[in-house]
Amino acid sequence: MKQDAETSHLKHVSHWKLYLVILLILFGIVFVLSLNLGYAHIPFSDILKILSKQVPFLNDLVDSSGISNTSEVIITQLRLPRVICGALVGASLATAGVIYQGIFRNPMADPYVIGSMSGASLGAALVLVLGVGVSFLGVNTLQIFAFVCSFATVLAVYSISKTGSRVPVTMLLLTGIAITYFQSAIVTFLQTVATDKVHRGLAFWLIGSLSSTETWSDVWSVFPFLVLGFVAAYLYSRDLNVLALGEDQAQHLGVEIEKLKRILLICATLMTAAAVSISGLIGFVGLIIPHLTRLIVGPDHRILLPTSAVVGASFLMISDSIARVIMGSGEAPVGVITALAGGPFFIYLLRRKKRGYTM
Amino acid sequence: MVTLSIDGIECSYGSVDVLKDINFNVKSGEFLGILGPNGSGKTTLLKSISRVLKPKKGAILIGTENIYNMKTVDVAKQMAVVPQSTPVSFDFTALEVVLMGRNPHMARFKMEGKKDLEIAKKSMELTRTWEFADRPVTELSGGEIQRVIIARALTQEPQILLLDEPTTHLDISNQLEIMDLIKHLCETQKLLIVAVFHDFNLAARYCDSIILLKDGKIVAAGKSNDTLTSENVKKVFSVNTIVKNHPITGQLHVIPISRPIILQPKSLIVHLICGGGTGSPIMKTLLDEGYRVTAGVLNLLDTDQETAQLLSIPTTNEAPFSPITTEAHKANLQMISKANVLVVTPTQFGDGNLRNLDAAETALKQGIPTVLLENGPMGERDFTNGKATEYLKRLKTKGATTVKSTSELVQFLDNLELKNNKENNH
Repeated sequence: MKQDAETSHLKHVSHWKLYLVILLILFGIVFVLSLNLGYAHIPFSDILKILSKQVPFLNDLVDSSGISNTSEVIITQLRLPRVICGALVGASLATAGVIYQGIFRNPMADPYVIGSMSGASLGAALVLVLGVGVSFLGVNTLQIFAFVCSFATVLAVYSISKTGSRVPVTMLLLTGIAITYFQSAIVTFLQTVATDKVHRGLAFWLIGSLSSTETWSDVWSVFPFLVLGFVAAYLYSRDLNVLALGEDQAQHLGVEIEKLKRILLICATLMTAAAVSISGLIGFVGLIIPHLTRLIVGPDHRILLPTSAVVGASFLMISDSIARVIMGSGEAPVGVITALAGGPFFIYLLRRKKRGYTM
Repeated sequence: MVTLSIDGIECSYGSVDVLKDINFNVKSGEFLGILGPNGSGKTTLLKSISRVLKPKKGAILIGTENIYNMKTVDVAKQMAVVPQSTPVSFDFTALEVVLMGRNPHMARFKMEGKKDLEIAKKSMELTRTWEFADRPVTELSGGEIQRVIIARALTQEPQILLLDEPTTHLDISNQLEIMDLIKHLCETQKLLIVAVFHDFNLAARYCDSIILLKDGKIVAAGKSNDTLTSENVKKVFSVNTIVKNHPITGQLHVIPISRPIILQPKSLIVHLICGGGTGSPIMKTLLDEGYRVTAGVLNLLDTDQETAQLLSIPTTNEAPFSPITTEAHKANLQMISKANVLVVTPTQFGDGNLRNLDAAETALKQGIPTVLLENGPMGERDFTNGKATEYLKRLKTKGATTVKSTSELVQFLDNLELKNNKENNH
């Protein structure tokens, strides 16, 4: 009856590259648009010229004589790092979300589910409120503390959940929830004793914002973790597929399940911690981007991982652009935008596609 | 050709021992069933064979190699497992799930090639799942998913197939279809199959040999016919059963009769006039209630006669398909005179067995309480031009009691038993 299931499968797989190319083009467009946005008006043609000037070999081909120095500085030293940070954070959170949902086989899982969020916020609160180690070798202590506390919290959750030689995901989730509440309580307490100014700063950080990421050092503090995490996850993408059948069956299909969980959880947590350390707790990206992308490209992690990264990056760039302009002179925290846009959109997706996840 | 050897394994969860000293061997082309009640350790055993739960002691060998010393992926190349049910968390298509069976055979960066697709297609055609290959598994029914999972297992191209109650959640037609397929694969592709069951008839129907597990120990093992005896089943499952060859399939058939409830044995002897299967359920009920039962006259090969024999109920018999002779009639009267109560079941009456109603009349005259069980119009089961109906009318006017159901009958007998006991005590 359906002799073409074979061809339709092959066709579906051959579409993967197409999806990726289209999404990358969209990503490019969003990228340039985001650079265009801001107080000083810089035309698109100039932006493209400035960008190509940064690329070796290409810089000889373009005529950049008509561009003012100010424009170039604004683009390369202010907007470019910020937009790239947005893309990196979005890609990191979305990739981590895909990994967490794959491992936990739970549609509600997101990068914050086993403590990376509460860990990071505790780290940030300690620095902001108590002023712990205000300066450490000239590096931003807030960033380091958030990163270390986030990663350490997940490691703690992982070790507590270990029973014998296995780490059951239910244990991980429940321990994660318990630790999250515990740390959130401490953060709330610190908030109550904080001065008004500190309190405001912490609140801004907790909801997530890219406003402090207008330097290249922020880019370099996220980029390596994204690359590392993404490559590792991609190596294990077929194993993540098999995991959809459950841990026992994955093992019967040759997957070393505990090793897989250990490696991928570490990768996803490093990515999340790095992203959170520069941007604060941006919500919803790690939860809805994987779902949204899955609706477009299907559940296969070999295509889901790269496309989610690209979609996540684009989504956060757009959200950040909106955050920058929506309030006129000031700036809204991007976490507010992602949550405001993400919540209703997610409900729409759920209602539109009621079939879906069986646990 | 491959051999799976389970060599003295012991498993425990925490401090609780679940399996103790399990030993057996299976070869290619053999179908081994593991049977046992809930909590007997059969799933644990399968888990430890499938390299999920490492035993505390002992070894599981494929050929001569201990699977716990092998790489996960190397075990997966030789052994596939089909669990009771598989909740799939994302909406992969059936074909994508089946292709996952190629996972152990593929290098890390390779995509599924033409050969992998061909193998998947072949398995899906065998399991009749190709027709919905491009549908998401999340939209399939339980039976369809299970067939997809079996196709996935076959796509692994294993030599050993382990099944954990693979048809528990399926309807009867799916059950038989899937088990037929597995049996077929066992025979044609010389697959080595180890399956866990809790349904002994399914096991009896398909397994060459059976292991009976209880409390983590092997109670009996061997060829199905030798292992699945009423005695062993009682030992393991604590139920009374009849084990016989099924009249149609010719395969071993286990019929559960009762839980062994120890009831106060009762003093009354109940004689049944029955036939054509109308007496069988009553025999079982009365025995369960603790009464002693006799029956007659029954033709040999009659269903009730066979039941009586299986339940060790004494009967007066007549040759197959023959009218009751005077000799048999007399023997029956003899038997009735030893009974305390006579029950006439709603059986058919023809000229051949009309004498049984005559016996009932005699009994009534001798003062033996007689009960007529009636559950429908007499006309439909009277093949004697009304003679049987006349008999029954006469019995009623002479004091026979009429009851409408087996439970009413039991109530009547219980009252009688009580009355009898009181009289005996005085």
